[in-house]
Amino acid sequence: MSSNSLRHLTRINRRTLIGGAGGLALAHAAASKLGMPYIGNAAAADPIRIGMIYAKTGAVADQAEYMAQGSLLALETRNNTLLGRQAEVIWLDEPTSQAAQQNAERLVGEHNVVGIVGGSLSSSALAISAVAKKAKIPFVAANAGAIDLTGRLCNKYTFRLQPPADVHTRVLAPYCAGLGKKWYLLTAAFAFGQDIKRSFTEFSAANGITLVGVDEVPVNTADYSSFILKIRAAKPDVVVGGVPGNDISTFLKQWNELGMKGKIPFAEIAVGATDLWGVGPEAADGLFTMSWYHKNPNNPPEEQAMAATYEKKYKRPAADKTWMGWMAMNALLDSVETAKATEPRAIVNALEKWGVQRGGVKAGYRAFDHQMVNRLLVVGIKPSITDKWDYFDILAETPSNDAEIEKVFGAQAESACKMDAL
Amino acid sequence: MFDLILSQAVNGLVLGFLYVLIAVGLSVIFGMLGIVNFAHGAFFAIGAYLALMLNRDFGWGAALLAPLLTGLIGMLVEFVLIRRLYGKEPLLGLILTFALALFFEAILRLVFGAAPLPFNPPRFLAGFVEYGPVLITKYRIVVLAVTVFALVAFWSFLEYTPFGRIIRAGSRDAEMVGLLGINLPIVLSSVFGIGCLLAGLAGMLSGPLWTVNPSMAAGAIMPAFVIVTIGGLGSYAGAIIAGVLVGVVTAMTIQFYPDWSSAAMYVLMAVILLVRPRGLFGEKWERFE
Repeated sequence: MSSNSLRHLTRINRRTLIGGAGGLALAHAAASKLGMPYIGNAAAADPIRIGMIYAKTGAVADQAEYMAQGSLLALETRNNTLLGRQAEVIWLDEPTSQAAQQNAERLVGEHNVVGIVGGSLSSSALAISAVAKKAKIPFVAANAGAIDLTGRLCNKYTFRLQPPADVHTRVLAPYCAGLGKKWYLLTAAFAFGQDIKRSFTEFSAANGITLVGVDEVPVNTADYSSFILKIRAAKPDVVVGGVPGNDISTFLKQWNELGMKGKIPFAEIAVGATDLWGVGPEAADGLFTMSWYHKNPNNPPEEQAMAATYEKKYKRPAADKTWMGWMAMNALLDSVETAKATEPRAIVNALEKWGVQRGGVKAGYRAFDHQMVNRLLVVGIKPSITDKWDYFDILAETPSNDAEIEKVFGAQAESACKMDAL
Repeated sequence: MFDLILSQAVNGLVLGFLYVLIAVGLSVIFGMLGIVNFAHGAFFAIGAYLALMLNRDFGWGAALLAPLLTGLIGMLVEFVLIRRLYGKEPLLGLILTFALALFFEAILRLVFGAAPLPFNPPRFLAGFVEYGPVLITKYRIVVLAVTVFALVAFWSFLEYTPFGRIIRAGSRDAEMVGLLGINLPIVLSSVFGIGCLLAGLAGMLSGPLWTVNPSMAAGAIMPAFVIVTIGGLGSYAGAIIAGVLVGVVTAMTIQFYPDWSSAAMYVLMAVILLVRPRGLFGEKWERFE
């Protein structure tokens, strides 16, 4: 190579500069566009805007994608109109709880949304909830399970669809107790994981269960083998997990790889079907609680119709997270229509009265803490998986009628929520 | 307890060598090209996805091509974009490779979806070996063997081949190598490609262990940066020793302080940098002074 060529390597000329800048701009534009395919365009003058905060990257991005698609489907089936006006969704990310809070503030301050749906993780939902309370904007949390959201930190503007960790625990723990009296807890080191740890610890103390090991795992742990070696040495009867999103997929893959599948039962609350689909039939294992399953013959007709529409559009079955996104958005949109206004207090009042019949249970938000009461599924992995979208056998649906709701979801007297006024 | 600690140490060794494989590519690219490649984790993810696809459609034999294809993609990226940054403001390299990391993640999400895809070790490597207190799976033994082989082969390539000597010389004084009549752009493309090939190999080996999803790069890139920093920028031996250290320290932290396990490597890095700011094997390089 000549010295001229070397000089060329270090010289910036106009063409290079423009080319480089153009390349960067193109890369950025493409990345932005590819990463945010669902953000609506402000096509019509003054449309009604709904805010949506779901993760676009990170451990729960796949769950968030299903939730976002479910939420968008709810609006699309109304021809993207509300109160006879054009309506659009503004979807922002939640890479951290701080960013979720900032994006919630942007939705309120810059986009003038009439309500927000989202919160893939409890930490994000708690942050968004604080903004909703301050800005007096209705927020429906679709997936967050932290107890505090509708407990100690409840507020008049926050509604939550996912049952909290203690409710899931009341449903799943008796099944775990049936498998043995020595438990090992492996929970994520964030709000939801800590709630799972606390709930199962309380249950074990009250029911003569011995905890032979308790580990908190950082979120996004790539290698669980060292944890699995500890579990193996502790010889528990059951491992109770509390790791979110992709982390449970990683754990179960390594659980199988280290020969533990089928040797020690694994159980976890509030999993998503996508988490297990990503594990693969060879490694999938466990006993779980879920909110919804597309193969459940007891799904109401409108939910079956939603699942069919979703599958037709996205060429894959609706996951439980699709249903959660759809249900959360439907509650908000129905309430806007019922309120016949975009005024936040009217929407909140309508949300408190909103409800749909699901089998023997009327699903809706309790006025005293804004927690949705609903039925939960206890599912186990099929002994033989032949359909890549059908991994679960439904073992129970709880509560099965309105009379059982208080037993599963707890009574008002047990709630830590001190609901504020509008 | 000693048995469990021994078992954890062996387990940490496997994890550490996987990190080394990622970090060595990063270290070589920085040492030779002066580019801090934020997109290195993306090539790790591309390697995993290519291996998954090739395995699904053609079997494990074809999956072995994944690192090579990743290296070729790396060379293409170098040819189209990276080479325009040589000798320019280092910040431009950071911005471009960061944009590339986002771009590749978005491409993977668009093509394969955000959901994790199932990818498990081959059936013929199912099961594990117990030797005294040590338990290790057959697949992890293969991962360890392949990683050690790749590292020795790459080291031999750098040390004993004419092309390796050119790379080492170029990492010290690229201008002088060019003045000697050597086609430097081809050398630089090859170096970037080899770095990406190593990342792709790590991706292929990690795919059956970790979750294959578009965000998987994040789990690889941070340990790689920590290892390169601990080992000393551009140091091959430093990357290997630092990788093993990080793996074993992480495994031991899981044993005794599990909730600190993800922070352990950063604490290790901070301690080492306080004692030796250039990292364990960091040297004074004229071109970076």
